[in-house]
Amino acid sequence: MTTLPAQDSVLPTGRPTPRRLSRKATGADRVFELSARTVGATVLVVTGGIGAFLAWQSVPTLERYGWSFFTESAWQPESDVLGIAAVLVGTVSIAGVAMAFAFPLALLTALFISEYAPAGIKSTLVSLVDLMAAVPSIIYGMWGYFLVMPHAAAFSLWLHQNLGWIPIFSVDADPDAAVWDQSRYIGSAFCAGIAVAMMVLPMSCAVMRQVFSQTPPGEKEAALALGATRWGMIRSVVLPFGRGGIIGGTMLGLGRALGETIAVLLIISPDFVIKPRILEVGTSSVSALIAGRFGDASAAQLSALLTAGFVLFVITLIVNTLAAMIVARSRSGAGTDA
Amino acid sequence: MSHRFHRLGAALLAAALLSLSGLGAANADELGPGGLGNATPRAAYAQIEGSGSTWSEVIVQQWISDVDALGMKVTYNGGGSSQGRKNFAQNVTDFGISEIPYPGVDEFGNADNSNGREFAYLPIVAGGTAFTYQLKIGDELVRNLRLSGETLTKIFTGEITDWSDPAITRDNNGRAFPKLAITPVVRSDGSGTTAQLTTWMDAEYPSIWRPFFGKSGYTSYYPRKGRMLAQSGSDQVMNTISGFAGNGTIGYVEYAYPLNKDYPVVKVLNDGGFYVEPTQYNVAVALTQARINEDASSPLYLTQILDGVYNAKDPRAYPLSSYSYMIIPTGAKDQRMSTAKRQTLGDFMYYSLCEGQAKAGPYGYSPLPLNLVQAGFTQLAKLKTADPAVDVENRDATKCNNPTFVAGNLKQNKLAQIAPQPAACDKQGAGPCGTATGTGEPSTDGGQPAGSGDGTSKGTGATSDSGAKGGADGGGGGTDGGGTGGGSGGAGTDGGGDPAATEVDPVTGENVATGGDGAGTTTTSGTGTTSDPIYATPTELSASRPGDSRAFGALATLELLALILVPGLLLARGVRRRSAGR
Repeated sequence: MTTLPAQDSVLPTGRPTPRRLSRKATGADRVFELSARTVGATVLVVTGGIGAFLAWQSVPTLERYGWSFFTESAWQPESDVLGIAAVLVGTVSIAGVAMAFAFPLALLTALFISEYAPAGIKSTLVSLVDLMAAVPSIIYGMWGYFLVMPHAAAFSLWLHQNLGWIPIFSVDADPDAAVWDQSRYIGSAFCAGIAVAMMVLPMSCAVMRQVFSQTPPGEKEAALALGATRWGMIRSVVLPFGRGGIIGGTMLGLGRALGETIAVLLIISPDFVIKPRILEVGTSSVSALIAGRFGDASAAQLSALLTAGFVLFVITLIVNTLAAMIVARSRSGAGTDA
Repeated sequence: MSHRFHRLGAALLAAALLSLSGLGAANADELGPGGLGNATPRAAYAQIEGSGSTWSEVIVQQWISDVDALGMKVTYNGGGSSQGRKNFAQNVTDFGISEIPYPGVDEFGNADNSNGREFAYLPIVAGGTAFTYQLKIGDELVRNLRLSGETLTKIFTGEITDWSDPAITRDNNGRAFPKLAITPVVRSDGSGTTAQLTTWMDAEYPSIWRPFFGKSGYTSYYPRKGRMLAQSGSDQVMNTISGFAGNGTIGYVEYAYPLNKDYPVVKVLNDGGFYVEPTQYNVAVALTQARINEDASSPLYLTQILDGVYNAKDPRAYPLSSYSYMIIPTGAKDQRMSTAKRQTLGDFMYYSLCEGQAKAGPYGYSPLPLNLVQAGFTQLAKLKTADPAVDVENRDATKCNNPTFVAGNLKQNKLAQIAPQPAACDKQGAGPCGTATGTGEPSTDGGQPAGSGDGTSKGTGATSDSGAKGGADGGGGGTDGGGTGGGSGGAGTDGGGDPAATEVDPVTGENVATGGDGAGTTTTSGTGTTSDPIYATPTELSASRPGDSRAFGALATLELLALILVPGLLLARGVRRRSAGR
């Protein structure tokens, strides 16, 4: 028979208690922790304050127009008809075009920098891409307006001629006219999207590059050791591992593309109809609407503009939060199982 | 992730703060007394800021760079007249510039007034709202288009949609333009230029304008419809028209913009039966018919009623002429103003109303007549009323170097007196003249009693210049004219463009209808029509388009793809098979 040692009962009552370990920071650590916390809280307060301010400002407009604010496409304060349906569609189509250009560019640039580029020029390439982010938005706008738009219009015509049967590529003009109607192909969501793509590219690229560079070197070497080519290694290791980063970077870029203002304002010809035809002249975006109209807006119109801004704020908040969640998940390495 | 929010948020916050009011931060940039080290004791200047009309922006920016040398720092931001009035009312700026006075209530039913800020209107410059366009025949830009007011109104209300429209052909005396859709370019922002245009359309062609607009009256916000493009600011309108896709566009801007871009403007038919261009002379002539509110106690003191201008019978008058106004703060307790700022504003406007007016003509505007300059000084004196420390001494309008002044006569406008009569080919039913527009010089037969002074010396300068050009490209027509007209027409034929030879049309280089019948007919069939390069006009045949071109297009794409891909694929397969067999 075995007997359990009855140790509990014989525990000496006078046993020395362990030294209390204080986990509280002291001295300089305490100061640093507090100041860092304050700064962090300030950021939250500012962001929250913006949201609260916008929400508060949009109350009168939403009370007045109700749901029709979201379903009405015209922006005619003169006849008391206001709605953001058209500008929302315009915002999304401009951002969509921008992502269509920026996504492949950003992905391939990031892959090249992290996997193919010789070590010597890697840092130069990284800073070049970062430099793109430093170029002011108005410069991209002028670049887009004066340099890109003529070519974008010609490309739009080609798309219209060849893919015009797809609804988004149709234009209300004759594609085969002897003298093509140039004025129908300018100032479109397509033209604006190209300029926005250049602004979005560096941000997406940076996120993707960082995630790619975190690929476990052991797995990469294992793939190479098993006889994979470099492209095979990228396909089987880097891309699956970085999938979260690709999605997250794209969505961060999308968040920025939704809010681009000055470049879009410069390029587009404002029009307030729901227009899925991205190649056709005339579109609008929420931010361009605000920038173009707030200067001479009356109090009621300003409230309407701020409501549009609030909607944009909420959309970008959702997009960016999703992106942040996806990026955070991918960094934990959860994507490697694929 | 918070990156984006901050950008957007900061912009919106800034917008909100701006709209709240000036916040009394106005005096922050004020320079201390004597800070400029200027010789004159009163020249303690402070930077003043203004915004508003893009109609007047070209000349205002020029004045600003002129007074910069005198130590005055002025900034001006052209965001449209509506924004100028709004910013002034919200104490964001020290002055505003607008083509129309505060309407009290805007067309949306919202208040559009100065928000209680005391102000006075000050006419700053006159000018013509010009219609500029890009219309190409082949590769050649048409530079001598003429249109009647009715045709223009129909174009801007979408009733006339094609350049080959018979109404346009009729305005050009039978000269037909290619079949090309008209794309009107309008302003997307609140604009005084739009207000000027729509006021004119509402007054002159209500039966066309009102059904389009849906109500009567003018608007600062053009109701964009159909093919119209909307652009914000005169600059962007001009850029769109002169841009690569501008063929077939027409828009309305102040005459200065096409003049700067070397773009043509439409000669508009006036009630005198002539098609005229908004040069400084034609605008000055037209504005002699403007009714100015002379009641100094009225809040609308010095503002304009333009009905007389629209209907001016003078063959030289440009119907869409108007004045532009500065809104100056006159309140003694104005929260933005200080003595230094008032002094700067007063001296800036003193320069603009005197010296600055001499620049109006070359820049595409027209100088103010003496009575308005004097009234402007009365308005400026209100700055002293508000603040006795402001020095407005020694301001005498008669000492101004202004090309419109006639010594001893307030109401006369010398510029209007010396304005040349339009060329005979500009008459309704005659011509059209081959003269290029958008040059700043009125097209004229050159046989006018020439005045002296500024205008004439410039006129002759351009005569030799464009005369040579006209003589060169109008070879055949010019020789013809010289032969029938005889006399000294030979000078024009040689392309010399002798400025002294008044019998020669300064621009076409042709002999001018001074007497003989033969010469008269030559002018009518001027270089504009006879020596125009001949281009094939594209004609579309609807039957020439097989409906199945798309299918063939797809097939061609497939074949192209196959051509590129198949060899490579075959090769790869062969290599794989061989390596597998090994």
